[in-house]
Amino acid sequence: MNVSISNILDQIIASIPLFKPELSLIIGFIVCIFTALFLEKRWKNSTFIACMLTLGVALYHLLAQLSTTGTGFSGMWLIDPWSIYARLVVLASTGIIAIFLQQRHPKNNGDIYAVLLATTLGIHVLSATSNWLMAFIGIEMVSIGSYVMVGYFSRNKAQSEAAMKYVLFGSVCAAVMLYGLSLVYGLTGNLDFTSAAHLKGLIDAPQAIITLGLLFVFAGIGFKLSFVPFHVWSPDVYQGAPTAITAFLSTIPKVGAIILFARLYQSWSSTAFYFSELSSWFIIIVALVTMLVGNLAALRQQDVKRMMAYSSIGHTGLLLMAVFAYQDIFSYLLFYIVAYVLMNLATFIFIDEIEQQTGSTSLSSYAGLGKKMPLLFTAFTLVAVSLIGIPPTIGFVAKLMVFTSTFSIFQSSGGTGSLLLLIVGALTSVISLFFYFKIPLYAFLRGNDNPIPSVVNRKQVSVMLFIAYLLTILVILFGIFPNWLMEMVS
Amino acid sequence: MITLTHFLVVSACIFCIGLYAVLAKRNAIMILVGIELMINAAILNFVAFGKYDKLNYGGQVFALFAIVLAAAAVAVGLALILNVYRHFKTINPEHIHELKD
Repeated sequence: MNVSISNILDQIIASIPLFKPELSLIIGFIVCIFTALFLEKRWKNSTFIACMLTLGVALYHLLAQLSTTGTGFSGMWLIDPWSIYARLVVLASTGIIAIFLQQRHPKNNGDIYAVLLATTLGIHVLSATSNWLMAFIGIEMVSIGSYVMVGYFSRNKAQSEAAMKYVLFGSVCAAVMLYGLSLVYGLTGNLDFTSAAHLKGLIDAPQAIITLGLLFVFAGIGFKLSFVPFHVWSPDVYQGAPTAITAFLSTIPKVGAIILFARLYQSWSSTAFYFSELSSWFIIIVALVTMLVGNLAALRQQDVKRMMAYSSIGHTGLLLMAVFAYQDIFSYLLFYIVAYVLMNLATFIFIDEIEQQTGSTSLSSYAGLGKKMPLLFTAFTLVAVSLIGIPPTIGFVAKLMVFTSTFSIFQSSGGTGSLLLLIVGALTSVISLFFYFKIPLYAFLRGNDNPIPSVVNRKQVSVMLFIAYLLTILVILFGIFPNWLMEMVS
Repeated sequence: MITLTHFLVVSACIFCIGLYAVLAKRNAIMILVGIELMINAAILNFVAFGKYDKLNYGGQVFALFAIVLAAAAVAVGLALILNVYRHFKTINPEHIHELKD
């Protein structure tokens, strides 16, 4: 099969319309570098404006792709509902993060927008491919961008330490994943993990090598999703990084990684051979351990950002459960992703707002603040309720959907794995009640012995707080009327 | 006659040496060197397997991209380690523990 160069070129040119949102991100990345170098000194915020414009243009091109499907670049680029809606979520939340950065770090921030756009491009690649080469490039783009962002504002010891731990742990995971990919490539001779040749190669391969290859590959994805045992970086990095960057790390990269993992799981678990069994047991065990470790470790945290790190590890366990449960219908998984992103963004904006006013992120410093900032803490409590999964919030609906479909899997096939998932999922939701409710407990019920460290009473309306209230309203609204969101994504 | 097995054995050895360096060394730069060894073992595998993939040359293309990405990751890693050295005056990961439970 010798394809001539002109045929290949024709195919590439024909695929370019599918790539428009990413092309605009690439152009915006270059423009941001130039404005940061030359214009930032004369016009403040010019890079921020360029970044927001880029996101707007990318969103426009992405909206034009709605309800189209197709593949481009010899099957390397997939346009389907998963990739379109995941990229919509990613672009919208990247916009919020860009505003967050602009509000919190108004000085010397030129290059961070360029890095932000490059990282977003990496997540787009992750969520729109089923090719190992693209997936690896995407993971590395996201990782390198995240390392830079964690280290970019490092003023003190803790921040530089967080960045170094992140880069060392991340590079080891990427190297292990690359070795695993080389084994998988050697066994199959094909890099597209949904293709028949790939699955046939895995069926024929010896069990020992396939176990090694699969586990190595999962290590790389596990680092991005931070499931156990590859979660050890996340509490340190979440606590050490500036809150705006933590909000980014805890939400957006996970969207891309979970979409990739869902595609992978859907394709690999579809046969009745050894590797399918291995990957389904792997996902069950990892989901169980991740939920348990995340929620139990969160119980004894005294720092809110660290607590949120463990809480997002717990939510990763539930996301894995969602991947396990929804093998055919994508809208439920997307619903959980949207819920997770909304709740986490709102939480980190609240944490940052309190940090701005009191200069602390420890739980004990929240004591008695409920009377000073009633509106903020009421909204914060609502988001915490949603994180636990109590009605009438989006978190409840998302969890309910995961549980009902795991239950229907249990009823139809009756596996021990799905039963265990149900039990542990319910148990950890109860456990999570105890640590999320520490926030309103401290804020409203505990008195403060020390005088509250001079709450700065800023007159101007905080843009971030406004966005956070908007997100809280969405959390409640989609909780009461989940159909609105479901109709949008289906 | 050098066969595919030779390449695989060599790359497995390099990977293990890299993993040992990552786990045992007490210097962040030596850990980065270990990571490089692991990546290069994988690249060797890709090129060796790529010989049998005459259709798309997937292995060789993957090797090229892996080299580029590894270089970028190491550049960022070195910059961050330099930053740590400025704050802590050491790059031994065991002595750097501001953040903990």
